[in-house]
Amino acid sequence: MQKYLGIHISNEEIESDTMSKAEVHTDTVGDIYVDDARMTARKVDVFYGDKKAIDDVSLDIASKEVVSLIGPSGCGKSTFLRCLNRMNDTIDSCRVMGTIALDGQNIYDPSIDVVPLRARVGMVFQKPNPFPKSIYDNVAYGPRIHGLAADKAHLDAIVEEALQRAGLWAEVHDRLTQSGTGLSGGQQQRLCIARAIAVSPEVILMDEPCSALDPIATAKIEELINELSAEYSIVIVTHSMQQAARISQRTAYFHLGKLIEVGQTKDVFTNPLNQQTEAYISGKIG
Amino acid sequence: MENSHIVSAFDDDLNNLNMRIEQLGNLAKERFVMALDAIATQDEKILDQIIKGDKELDVLEAEIIQNAFEIIALRSPRASDLRRVVVASKIASIFERVGDFSKNIARRTKAMAASGHETIPDVNIGRMGHMAEGMMNDAMEAYHNLDTKVAIDLRNSDVELDHMHTAFYNEVIAMMTDNSKMVGSGVHLLFLGKNIERIGDYMTGIAEEIYFLVEGVQLDDERPKADKSSSKLS
Repeated sequence: MQKYLGIHISNEEIESDTMSKAEVHTDTVGDIYVDDARMTARKVDVFYGDKKAIDDVSLDIASKEVVSLIGPSGCGKSTFLRCLNRMNDTIDSCRVMGTIALDGQNIYDPSIDVVPLRARVGMVFQKPNPFPKSIYDNVAYGPRIHGLAADKAHLDAIVEEALQRAGLWAEVHDRLTQSGTGLSGGQQQRLCIARAIAVSPEVILMDEPCSALDPIATAKIEELINELSAEYSIVIVTHSMQQAARISQRTAYFHLGKLIEVGQTKDVFTNPLNQQTEAYISGKIG
Repeated sequence: MENSHIVSAFDDDLNNLNMRIEQLGNLAKERFVMALDAIATQDEKILDQIIKGDKELDVLEAEIIQNAFEIIALRSPRASDLRRVVVASKIASIFERVGDFSKNIARRTKAMAASGHETIPDVNIGRMGHMAEGMMNDAMEAYHNLDTKVAIDLRNSDVELDHMHTAFYNEVIAMMTDNSKMVGSGVHLLFLGKNIERIGDYMTGIAEEIYFLVEGVQLDDERPKADKSSSKLS
């Protein structure tokens, strides 16, 4: 057993690199595999101290797809999401077992530096959290620390492109020096998305990104997610089943730490294969 | 599928929808049985009651479809709930159509009665009618119990009604050939028979909807058919 940034990882799991793409036995209903996997999770267990929060979850995330993670509070969906870019590293009692690979490379390998990892696998949180800096500096922060811009003109171009892609440029281009915290909630969340995409990630994780937004701001984020999915893989945790249905190609249902069912969103919401999934999405006492 | 919803008003809405479907089905069957009896009795009062009463079925169908729209808009039904709402709309339209067939039977019976024949020619329409009535009973039982076995048996049984209709068709054609004075009534009888045969077809439609409601997939095999009347000249 090794300890790396507070994460205990079994040597056996680290060394089993071939496992990252392997087919494994799973109780999950539906197909956990995709043809063009960008991320692969295999037999992932997560413990907070003695409490098992994730139990034997295996799932592929394809290139350029939106996957929704749904399930009741405490089911493990956010914990699983946070495993995908090692956000759980910050919790000392957290242990992650199994393999999570990005482009075939185990992200829990000790040789992996989490800073570039989190640029490749960006994250947008429930509550918009812009830095107390200007709109420009919020977006420029990542490219600066990762050394992505050759000069000021290049950085300007990166900032503009990120704000354009986040659908915010038209609203802020004439006040880039103003504080990001002065924007509306929906604008702040799009600023956070611009900040995430400014460092050219491959995967964007979103943890209930619209839960603090009104329906119009929510619709703008959802439209943005749809546009971004042409370039990025997006994994989103949401409590809104309508939102999962509207924006994702695949939906994964978690319950008590287990991945119960995963499938095409249209199938999960019209004819789920598992009774627990049916009960949850139908609002029934399961 | 049988579990209760956390929001109990959603259950109330779905139960109300089911209750109305069963109400419409019972009304459609009641009118059909009245029409069958009236073919023999030519009771003008009953015939008028069937013709005028068809509006009740139209109103009930419209209410069911409105209820289904409201459930979709207000409750966002998913999975089996969504299938139940969509299927309820389709079944409502089928039972309303059965009401139209009964009305048409009543109108044609009135026309035959007005032609001066004291009795309807002695052809075996009652047997077809009983068969169709039985299929309506099966359809309602399968819907009430969400019983796919009853639904599949119902769907397969339609072939028997097809055979009866082909035999009935031949019988009426022979009657018209023997007695040219009976051609007018004969044409009406052919339509009567066809209406009953079509009710059988519609009941197989309900059977297929129930299968979809329960299983979430369409019945994929071809339904057996045996009505040859449409491919005959005489």
